[in-house]
Amino acid sequence: MRRIAPALVGLAVVVLVGAAPAVLSPFLVQFLINLFMLAVLAESWNIIGGFTGYASFGNVAFFGVGAYTTGVLLTRTALPFGLALTAGGALAMLFAAVIGMPILRLKGHYFAIATLGVAETMREVVYNLEVTGAGTGLVMPISRSPLPFFYVMLGLLVAATLVNWWLSASRFGYGLVAIREDEDAAAAMGIDTARYKTVAFALSGAFAGLTGGVFAYWITFIDPDAVFRVITTIQMIIMAVFGGMGTVLGPLLGAVVLASVSELLSTQLVALAELFNGFIIILVVLFMPRGLVDVLATRPFSLRRFADNVRAYRI
Amino acid sequence: MLTLQLLINGILLGGLYGIMALGMSLIWGVMNIVNIAHGALIMLGAYLTFWTFTLWGWDPFAALPLTILILFVYGYLLQRLVLNLVVRAQLFLTLLITFGVEVVMVNLARMFWSADLRQVTPAYAGANFSVGGLTIPYVRLWVFVTTVILSVSFLLLLERTRLGRAIRATSEELRAARLTGIPVTHIYAVTFGLGAALAGAAGGLWGMLFPITPIMGGALTLKSFVVAVLGGLGTMMGAIVGGLVLGLAESFSATYLGPTYPNAISFGLVVLILILRPAGILGRRS
Repeated sequence: MRRIAPALVGLAVVVLVGAAPAVLSPFLVQFLINLFMLAVLAESWNIIGGFTGYASFGNVAFFGVGAYTTGVLLTRTALPFGLALTAGGALAMLFAAVIGMPILRLKGHYFAIATLGVAETMREVVYNLEVTGAGTGLVMPISRSPLPFFYVMLGLLVAATLVNWWLSASRFGYGLVAIREDEDAAAAMGIDTARYKTVAFALSGAFAGLTGGVFAYWITFIDPDAVFRVITTIQMIIMAVFGGMGTVLGPLLGAVVLASVSELLSTQLVALAELFNGFIIILVVLFMPRGLVDVLATRPFSLRRFADNVRAYRI
Repeated sequence: MLTLQLLINGILLGGLYGIMALGMSLIWGVMNIVNIAHGALIMLGAYLTFWTFTLWGWDPFAALPLTILILFVYGYLLQRLVLNLVVRAQLFLTLLITFGVEVVMVNLARMFWSADLRQVTPAYAGANFSVGGLTIPYVRLWVFVTTVILSVSFLLLLERTRLGRAIRATSEELRAARLTGIPVTHIYAVTFGLGAALAGAAGGLWGMLFPITPIMGGALTLKSFVVAVLGGLGTMMGAIVGGLVLGLAESFSATYLGPTYPNAISFGLVVLILILRPAGILGRRS
């Protein structure tokens, strides 16, 4: 029963959201597609950053690989979107696995900056390649209805959430958490840490790549600066952290709250929305580093918890 | 001849990379914070010089002391009021909070100064002289001389003064430093202030050679990190040597491989160093 009840609630929510475009304005449908995209990215970052504890600051690289693979296949070949998208996800996964093998050996700061470097390098590579349209970008064929994007993104979100749920309750997931808590101890327990980390990174990359592929076709025009944006990485990290790293629903919750506030602010001024992201990062780190899920789950709820969090790490 | 010219270009640029990395290496070494906002501090320094130059007509070199002072105070307050609260938290949180500071600074800069490219062009900006067929721009030479003066005075401060000893002691053993009566919170803030001041100086000088934008900081954070790692973490001389290595690598690669991959070059360089010499060029093996 304890497993069936959440599954039923989840299913009901998905059906309800799935029926929503019938009554929503086109603007709200577009907003929801964007929200789903950010939520998938947050959930995918959660696999490597939340469960495994490897703070990747460059997951936008996989998003970009997916977007560009799908984009190039759509514009230069007659491949249908489904196949192009699959290729995008697969290549992003492969790229994450290959790049992961050397850089997952780095730890802490070195790993974080290396991933930042990977993203920056990919942007430069795409800038210089002929096939990706270099600096001028790619224009996709235009699709008339936003509904396919809505359902594909929703499908990705469901899949990403299910994978996170699986991680929270499986041998593989426990292995990742063991690596996060103490990598040497995990290795001593017989966990093949290199393989576990690489698979987690590839899984994270696959979802980011698929999202990128849908993004490319949905947005119809991609160029290196629009795809490899640092702010995209910031968003996925902050949504996961705001909701609660290493939890199943935290990143989703974070995406819903922050994307809504961002949207409201960016109707005023785009820089204002990004500024808000920055302040949220600082405030979350100071006041609730374990995320919203932790705050909501602790009873009785009290403001002292925030004060305790601030006092925890100072000297 | 071309090789010699490239060598000179690389060294002149390398000095600037050196003082950028010096600031980052100091903060990293003493507080174990990798400051992702380092590039944003450089950007702030560049805009301050731009302001004093366009609004008041100050010579960019003459404006440096003011930039350094403002950035020092800013860095001191940032550490004392904000970063100090998480200085003992796990790496990810300190990284994330400096990331947040960077985003805030970049977007405030975008509001204040807009996203336009700005330039600091004093009257002598284009002048150069030739020695035996080699061309040396005056501005680059003076920028290099300034970075040498700054590095040397910084190293003297760290090695020869009471404050420098306190910083080194805090860096080596926090608890012992505290027991001997060193006000560690204050020392941490001063250290961050010094790091920010070096970044600000680097920014002020950078603005004379390259265009200034609010988003210039990202790539410079990456470069500072690369240089700090190249030279070996915690060794201040290492940062300077690393700066020269990166300057030379960029100068030669721009000519022989084309100018379109500057970040890929520096990133490739650091991966190479991490594999071949994990402790850096001058670093000790731990």
